[in-house]
Amino acid sequence: MKIGTPKEVFDGEARVAMTPDSAVQLQKLGYDCAIESGAGLLAGFSDKAYSEAGVEIKKTAAALWKDVDVVAKVREPDDGEMKRLTADHTLISFFNPAGNDKGLQAAAKKGASVISMEMVPRISRAQKMDALSSMANIAGYRAVIEAGNNFGRFFTGQVTAAGKVPPAKVLIVGAGVAGLAAIGTATSLGAITYAFDVRPEVAEQVESMGAEFVYLDFKEEQKDGAETGGYAAVSSPEFREAQLAKFRELAPEMDIVITTALIPNREAPKLWLKDMVKSMKPGSVIVDLAAPAGGNVEGTVQDEKVVSDNGVTIVGYTDFASRMAAQASSLYSTNIRHMMADLTPEKDGVVVHNMDDDVIRGATVTFKKEITYPPPPPKVQAIAAKSQEKPKELTPEEIRAQEADAFKAQTKQQVILLATGALLTLGLGLIAPVSFMQHFIVFVLSVFVGFQVIWNVSHSLHTPLMAVTNAISSIIILGALMQIGSGSFLVIILAALSVFMAGINIFGGFLVTRRMLAMFQKS
Amino acid sequence: MDLGFTTAAYVVAAILFILSLGGLSGQESAKRAVWYGIVGMALAVFATLIGPGSGLWFFSIILIAGGGIIGYMLASRVEMTQMPELVAGMHALVGLAAVFVGFIADFEMGNVAIAKEAGTAKDLTGFAALIAKKSAIELSILRVELFLGVFIGAVTFTGSVIAYGKLSGKVTSAATKLPGGHALNAGAAIIAALCLIWYLQSGSLLAVVIMTLMAFFIGFHLIMGIGGADMPVVVSMLNSYSGWAAAAIGFSLGNDLLIVVGALVGSSGAILSYIMCKAMNRSFVSVILGGFGGTSGPAMEVEGEQIAIDADGVAAALNDADSVIIIPGYGMAVAQAQQAVSELTKRLRGQGKEVRFAIHPVAGRLPGHMNVLLAEAKVPYDIVLEMDEINEDFPSTDIAIVIGSNDIVNPAAQDDPNSPIAGMPVLECWKSKQVFVSKRGQGTGYSGIENPLFFKENTRMFYGDAKESLNKLLALIN
Repeated sequence: MKIGTPKEVFDGEARVAMTPDSAVQLQKLGYDCAIESGAGLLAGFSDKAYSEAGVEIKKTAAALWKDVDVVAKVREPDDGEMKRLTADHTLISFFNPAGNDKGLQAAAKKGASVISMEMVPRISRAQKMDALSSMANIAGYRAVIEAGNNFGRFFTGQVTAAGKVPPAKVLIVGAGVAGLAAIGTATSLGAITYAFDVRPEVAEQVESMGAEFVYLDFKEEQKDGAETGGYAAVSSPEFREAQLAKFRELAPEMDIVITTALIPNREAPKLWLKDMVKSMKPGSVIVDLAAPAGGNVEGTVQDEKVVSDNGVTIVGYTDFASRMAAQASSLYSTNIRHMMADLTPEKDGVVVHNMDDDVIRGATVTFKKEITYPPPPPKVQAIAAKSQEKPKELTPEEIRAQEADAFKAQTKQQVILLATGALLTLGLGLIAPVSFMQHFIVFVLSVFVGFQVIWNVSHSLHTPLMAVTNAISSIIILGALMQIGSGSFLVIILAALSVFMAGINIFGGFLVTRRMLAMFQKS
Repeated sequence: MDLGFTTAAYVVAAILFILSLGGLSGQESAKRAVWYGIVGMALAVFATLIGPGSGLWFFSIILIAGGGIIGYMLASRVEMTQMPELVAGMHALVGLAAVFVGFIADFEMGNVAIAKEAGTAKDLTGFAALIAKKSAIELSILRVELFLGVFIGAVTFTGSVIAYGKLSGKVTSAATKLPGGHALNAGAAIIAALCLIWYLQSGSLLAVVIMTLMAFFIGFHLIMGIGGADMPVVVSMLNSYSGWAAAAIGFSLGNDLLIVVGALVGSSGAILSYIMCKAMNRSFVSVILGGFGGTSGPAMEVEGEQIAIDADGVAAALNDADSVIIIPGYGMAVAQAQQAVSELTKRLRGQGKEVRFAIHPVAGRLPGHMNVLLAEAKVPYDIVLEMDEINEDFPSTDIAIVIGSNDIVNPAAQDDPNSPIAGMPVLECWKSKQVFVSKRGQGTGYSGIENPLFFKENTRMFYGDAKESLNKLLALIN
């Protein structure tokens, strides 16, 4: 079968759904690849690069759509593209099924299979095709760069000959993928970064990225993020008030605010209100990553950069990923490639649309003339249940008490052992003859010496230790040597055998030990 | 030569033996220490040969030399991966020798008794002369001693033979028991105890023979019931037994050097067994009785999937990493992959990366097995670290590579209180940024427990034979 990628028709869209690299991988899955001439130009991939990767170049979009079985693209198809869609096509693209009823109807009517990249379920197995995450990652990064572009100061604090530069303070609202990417970028540029999220369980992730988590003084039964598939849920009015009060408190201090708060299938919550914008310092920058869903900031204008009366720049672009087209295309095309790999279990270039597979089922929005959106909930839970409570930290006093107890117990144990040992020995002394006791003393002392010596043996030398103890345990040869000369033929035979076996052991044991020890070398 | 000289030689030999064991505390001093052992042994044998009570010394020297040649050939040919078998096999020899020596002592007692009645006791020489001097109570004690020596020796013999078979793959390494299980062992032990009473009263040789057979059975059945991965405990336990057998024989022969060395070896093996058991968080008894203990509840569900990766992916990650920790296990020994591991280490270190090894105490089939294999492959010993030394470093490590180990890197030991291995100390490799697991297939380890490590998000499974996988990888590391 053939996979084709047309040039994106959406104005200003620079991304492309197939790169020369991904084409090579797709060919390994058994597919032929085709691309519309100039499709990758804006993302930095020339037609030449594609044809070198074995991709067929089609002059026009019409020719491409006609010739291919699978169409991979980025933006949701427009009306013109929907017309080209036929029953033989499998379309893989962002499709916005929640707000694109018309498109769903049209595709179902034609009988085309549509896989919507934003519907890939959030389970570990599907991470490699989670295009929303990979695009959000880019958006988060770009948001900081965009903010820096509009911010007239350094991010990092410096002390220079020309004066001291304070570090920029950055607040990230919403610690999803985009938020975390923004945190990482801002901290690595040297800014003091704060982050807020309605899900307190992400505090650990935030702190691991080097930012400070902003906690609210608010007690409420939080919904476990796992229930909502790892996304934020709508919060209660009281919670919202507490949140806004915190933002109000932070607003005057912040130089840069990046908002990324989105709730799936809803308008973005307004979190940064007019009065907060007003209380910010002139020259501050707000980047509203939620602009496509209406924006988190009051005053955001979609796709534009506006400056408020008090000199605060509000960036409302919606094409952050497209602004980094080369990177975005390579990640997105890899997501598509993984999706194709799941659709091609045999690697024979034939699409097997397995509707029993959680991932494929979830992402498919039309199949066999039917609309299959919204999908049933996935069988696998998105995120593991909350881990158990950590054991309570002990206070120093408790630790000390524990140590004292342990020491007492140990002493007690030792005394009991010694006492029983001594009693047994004494008892033995009462009945055993002197000649035995003389040997017994030697025995007990040797055991003690043995224990003391062996504890110091290094762990790495345990095998040589076994070999050497093996060799010296052939000391039994002495017994055989003492007996061999006395008595009958049978005695001589048995003693001779013992001497012989012990001889094997002595030489074998010592030699192999030496061989092993010689191998241990210092670097 | 008189007894005084022999005893003096024994004292010197005993000190040399202690020093040779003590020297094993460090790699460099160990190289010197092994010579102490050799000299001590030579001195002891020499002193016995020229001392009172020995005879046929020329014949003895020929026998020792003959055994020596075989020992030399064995020692120089053995592969380091076969080390566990060799050690087990050699224990068998000591055990059998102890049995023989014990039997001879019994024969001699019979001969002495006859000689005494015939009034020719004064003509007796050697060991027999020693016996002739003993009083009745001393003879009883002698009987107990040689009885014990023969018993322990016999258990050591069959146990070691089975351990050898299991380690070399000639006997199935799965735990197998006859119907009746440990009741059979207990029965055999009781019969042996009854034989002791019988023997003390009658001095009958038959009692010793029956007891020996029982001991043979116990050794066989006990070790058959223990699975392959518990072999480190078994081998060190047998090591210990061979020592105790020598000590018991030493008592019956009245030879202090035998007692000293037997006690040294016995305690050494006992400590090794203890260390191994501790490393598995299991009691010695539970290991010897075989199998893992029951679980106290359902195991935690493992979520996620095992994600495979190919050599390209691993190579790319390794090329980017700064610090790598390699965790070898028995699988590495089976695949004979230590040379490839060493080569990989050399190349990565050549690129200025920090490469270290983490060794779990029970990795492999013999205490310290992994260390020897890595040493053979010329991995410098100062980058091969113990579990306690390296466990804290995983969070700051870029890549952990698990080669052929399973239970010793199982996070269930810490996370799941219901797991059969709960509480066992494990290498916390999942705390490193990324984990690669080189493994043949998706099976579970020796304990049969699912390993949640393989399902973690930062784990990638590098399926295939360890040696082939690593060789593929080597081609890609520039």
